[in-house]
Amino acid sequence: MKVLTPKGEQLELLTVNMGPSHPATHGTLRVFCALDGETIVASMCEMGYLHRGFEKMVEQGTYTMVLPYTDRLNYCSAMMNNIGFCKAVEKMFAVTVPERCVVLRVILCELSRIIDHLVCVGANLVDLGALTNFWYFFNPREAVYKIWEKLCGARLTNTVTRIGGFYRDTYPGFEDDVRAVLVQIEGAIKDVRGLIEHNKIFLDRTRDVCVVSKEDAISWGWTGPCLRASGVDHDIRKQEPYYGYDTYAWDTVIGTKGDTYDRIMIRIFEMLESISITRQALDRLKPGPINTNDARLTLPDRNRVYHDMEALINSFKLIYEGVRPPPGECYDATEAANGELGFFIVSDGGTNPYRIKARPPCLTQFAAFGPMTEGTMIADAFGTLGSINIIAGELDR
Amino acid sequence: MSAPHIDTPTIPSAAPGIPLAKDALLALVRERIEVEPDPSDRWDLTVVVASGRLRDLMRFLRDDPRLRMDVLLDIAGVDYLAFPGHRDARFAVVYLLKSLAFNHRIKVKVRVEEEALEIPSIHDCWKIADWMERECWDQLGIVFKGHPNLKRLLNHHQFVGHPLRKDYPCQKRQKLTVNDPMVDQLQLRLRQLGYTVLSEGEIHAPAVRGGTPGEVVGTGDKGMQDPDLTTGTQVGDMKRSVL
Repeated sequence: MKVLTPKGEQLELLTVNMGPSHPATHGTLRVFCALDGETIVASMCEMGYLHRGFEKMVEQGTYTMVLPYTDRLNYCSAMMNNIGFCKAVEKMFAVTVPERCVVLRVILCELSRIIDHLVCVGANLVDLGALTNFWYFFNPREAVYKIWEKLCGARLTNTVTRIGGFYRDTYPGFEDDVRAVLVQIEGAIKDVRGLIEHNKIFLDRTRDVCVVSKEDAISWGWTGPCLRASGVDHDIRKQEPYYGYDTYAWDTVIGTKGDTYDRIMIRIFEMLESISITRQALDRLKPGPINTNDARLTLPDRNRVYHDMEALINSFKLIYEGVRPPPGECYDATEAANGELGFFIVSDGGTNPYRIKARPPCLTQFAAFGPMTEGTMIADAFGTLGSINIIAGELDR
Repeated sequence: MSAPHIDTPTIPSAAPGIPLAKDALLALVRERIEVEPDPSDRWDLTVVVASGRLRDLMRFLRDDPRLRMDVLLDIAGVDYLAFPGHRDARFAVVYLLKSLAFNHRIKVKVRVEEEALEIPSIHDCWKIADWMERECWDQLGIVFKGHPNLKRLLNHHQFVGHPLRKDYPCQKRQKLTVNDPMVDQLQLRLRQLGYTVLSEGEIHAPAVRGGTPGEVVGTGDKGMQDPDLTTGTQVGDMKRSVL
């Protein structure tokens, strides 16, 4: 493509199409860019290759049927999506879940955050040519998946929560397994930090690469680790605390420059904070009910169903019709691994959701990807793509 | 019902970090722009504004030192066609905003009549509004007037209709036969950056076989390279509106 630069020089640009099935895109994303040598001059992104119509599908079933679909949004930390959706519906009912359920949700959320960051950082380092870290991080990730398997039978798509509580309580020995895996994760983080922190190749390829200023990050609607990397002190767990996150001792990790280095390092240090929160939550985990006793949400006890007419009707109604939130429009958000995961729910008082709009955190980050990589080398652009952690399942819905 | 006239502001300006209560927020907004609280939001604050005042309201929410709603979280379109007992306009667009300084949130709703499916674009107020408006147009067919590049975001470029409308059949599939070359998009971007495009050259797709503009290029599947292919091809099959 022949162009005139803003300075009036004639330039021959090479147009290159990356993706949708390019290994460096970690999914199906398309980046169409114009190159001057190896430098990106202009770049446009196309998404939607994994679009399955999440928002249309969820209108066809009951609220409980939405849960398996939410697993498939950010499939690297499926439980956080389950919990985010349940919390939004629980807000509509104005029910509070029991203490054990809250603490268990905190533990599962933080473990999910850790495995999400493990995948993000591990794969990002592979993009930069550092393969060993990937194995160091995927071993503890596998150990967490073993816990998920014992907990609910599924590894990737867990559907472990229910509106008003959980599918079932934990298994005996859950606490010990979690404590053991936390030690393993700490070891892996130590190993990886040892490999990258003083590594000249890593530092050269990440420092001052694709810097996003505070103002730009806010204007792009960034949330989560990427926003914090740009130096904005904002975490929903701190600023609008839910599930008692304000009662745990932990710190928000904030970057200084907003470059790829910050975005990677923030995730590494956030894992350490999550480990600390998980340990404190394990200390608080006391036996007790895991489901709310609100009859609109929770199935009655089996013994009562067989001997009590009202309980039988209640059970049938909940199975056949599901929960019925009061009519209205409600938005609720949680701090997922990638940023603010929100659900805007419109209820007409019926059994099926009238409209659900998911707010995927990585859409805002991918929208910025084209402009933020303009002016950088093409190889660094893909290092950056890993650092903003695009999960196609949640991006394309 | 008109907004109450406030001579002297009765709302104390919040110290940083302290979110304003729902009523205080509403009163503050009503000082400047006529809005109605939406009774269907029983949990937080949604204000309904006329589409003509939308841009003023959004700028005010973003820039007022007492509000500072600096993050546009999402733009959600709703089709009320099948909503029981709904009498207002068929569509509504809901803007979700949040303040990083004060941690308060607000939703702004604009009702859109089916006969005049057009509301002003706010792409120049937040960078992210560009893509969010594209998604809303793609899914519900609401036109954002003044948007520089109102193309589909989630569905493919040959898609007809808007899947999140309540009269769009859930099971309907639409195949993609020819991929979007995106050359016009890239040229638009180059022009935005101050470049002048003199001529189109060859387009290289390192991940796949190359092609030339006009033909199908860089789709990741050799089946897509055949310009005579008229049957539904498998690439882009994932990119359909509804499963």
